[in-house]
Amino acid sequence: MSLQLDQLTPCFQGIVPAMLFTCSKDGTPNAAFLSHVDYVDASHVALSFQFFNKSRRNIVENPRALVRVIDPDTHQGYKLRLTFDRSETSGPNFERMHLRIEAIASYCGLKGIFKLKAADIYKVDSIELVPEETGVKERWSPRGRRRAEDPVFTMKALQELSTRINASECLDNLFDSILSGLKEYFGFSHAMILLTGEKPNTLVTIASKGYPAGGVGSEVQFGEGVIGVVAEAQQPIRISGLIRGILHAYAAKRRAEDRGWRPQEAVPLPGLKNPASQLGVPLVVGNELVGVICIESETPYRFHEEDKTTIGLLGSYLAVAIQNMQKKEAEHPAPLQKLVPVPPPPSAASQAPSNGRRELTFYRGEEVVMLDGEYLIRSLPARILWKVLQTHKEHGRAEFTNRELRLDKSLNLPEFKDNLETRLLLLRRRLDEKSPDIRIVPRGRGRFALELASEIQLTEKG
Amino acid sequence: MLDKSLTEFLEQGLAIHMGTRNAHMEPNGCRVAAVRVEEQGQHLVAYVPKAATAEVLDDLQNNGQAAVSLARPSDDRAVQVKGQFLALRDADASEEAFVMAQWRGLLGQLDAIGLAGTAATSTWSVWPCVAVTIRVTQIFSQTPGPEAGSVI
Repeated sequence: MSLQLDQLTPCFQGIVPAMLFTCSKDGTPNAAFLSHVDYVDASHVALSFQFFNKSRRNIVENPRALVRVIDPDTHQGYKLRLTFDRSETSGPNFERMHLRIEAIASYCGLKGIFKLKAADIYKVDSIELVPEETGVKERWSPRGRRRAEDPVFTMKALQELSTRINASECLDNLFDSILSGLKEYFGFSHAMILLTGEKPNTLVTIASKGYPAGGVGSEVQFGEGVIGVVAEAQQPIRISGLIRGILHAYAAKRRAEDRGWRPQEAVPLPGLKNPASQLGVPLVVGNELVGVICIESETPYRFHEEDKTTIGLLGSYLAVAIQNMQKKEAEHPAPLQKLVPVPPPPSAASQAPSNGRRELTFYRGEEVVMLDGEYLIRSLPARILWKVLQTHKEHGRAEFTNRELRLDKSLNLPEFKDNLETRLLLLRRRLDEKSPDIRIVPRGRGRFALELASEIQLTEKG
Repeated sequence: MLDKSLTEFLEQGLAIHMGTRNAHMEPNGCRVAAVRVEEQGQHLVAYVPKAATAEVLDDLQNNGQAAVSLARPSDDRAVQVKGQFLALRDADASEEAFVMAQWRGLLGQLDAIGLAGTAATSTWSVWPCVAVTIRVTQIFSQTPGPEAGSVI
């Protein structure tokens, strides 16, 4: 059977580096590792052009090239004989490669130095097996297409996740259902959901699973890290072999620093310390970005090319589910019987400071609440918390309604899509994580209560 | 010339490939299992698995031009040695331990960065090898970044 390029798509995930061989006009050969090879169509591949190196200069003089790639599933090596066709600096081929490189660069604080100049498109003249790199037996389905050994994004898993999500009664329950469903039906133990924040071009973590620190309330700016790049581009990003990509980027960083270049501060990636693969999926309804779901794995090749369509479908479905629940909660708050107050965690009292007092400071200019000198929360959830704490202190009131918050001009809620229920949930989860002795507890239809297991002292600063 | 420091780097067990070209200026390339620096750094012996493509060996004997790329997977430090083909022979049994030690060094690094080198290459042909000696003419840094391609 002759080899077809579309059978080699796993080779283009960036897990095993490719090797590029070129030759100058005067006949001097060149061999160099290549950052990215991407599948374009049945007869073309794209090679990343990041630096004006010898390979690139050779291609200008002599368009013939040889690329060797390795299949990460079977470990079979292939050599592709190529002829340079064109350079693209925009369009889907460029954007796909650019996104991946941009995400890695951002993670390493290398934006601007580690970037894609162009996606160089080559015609594939022939494909041959590499004789010294013989792989294990190939797996082919009767249709001649690759059959994943361990399929992840199956229709069955999607259906089961959908059933669980449909049973959710409120936002709180929905986020937990998504994360637990991803673990149970897809095997993803590490995932987080971020929603668009009140501040423009910001995402805020609303829920996570599989991390020692939940990270609720942590923020990611658009364009920063894999999650921020996903939000900015509103395109899913699958990164397999993330460690390889980062090592490659860091090598470039060291050389740039040797020349006097100083990096921007690296954005700490939420989640696993050393994820081997990541999947960022934008949650988009129409043209509106609702948030981003990020799934991480310690397995280098967790998200396969074959999963691309299902991943897109999953993102769309989750986005609609979240947006519908946000609307439902705003318009029809959950019925009383569904909002059974959660009993205080057993550790609530023990997590209160030994002197039984908490100092909360609201920095009105920055709209940030600090708890015992440490950052607690910002923006609308901070304003709500402050309002509730002050009311409690001045009037002794402990129960509140969503409606009175909506009518309170001092909270400065957006007139359109205020996402109040989501912000309240964020506040509640953040408090649960950071100070279980100060709690926001649902009390039924659009109502909640402030429960304090510590004496609180409030200070407001400009 | 390959000095002591560079020799130590090159012989530690790296990801190595050799590039050549044919009379039609078409590039060819193959994997190299190990290298040895000889003649006070003027010669580089590349151990090419016998199973590797015959085109590379043909090219070497026809036009003599060679480029050997050597990279350390753990940090992507990389060097390219350009040279002129001098000789080709079957590697003898006494060289096997030297070659395989370098190969295992590479696999250890791949394992360390999560590429499962040992398992992934279990079906690859590494030994026996042919020993290709080239005279070193130029050495370049190939570490990714703006300085890639500079002469060492």
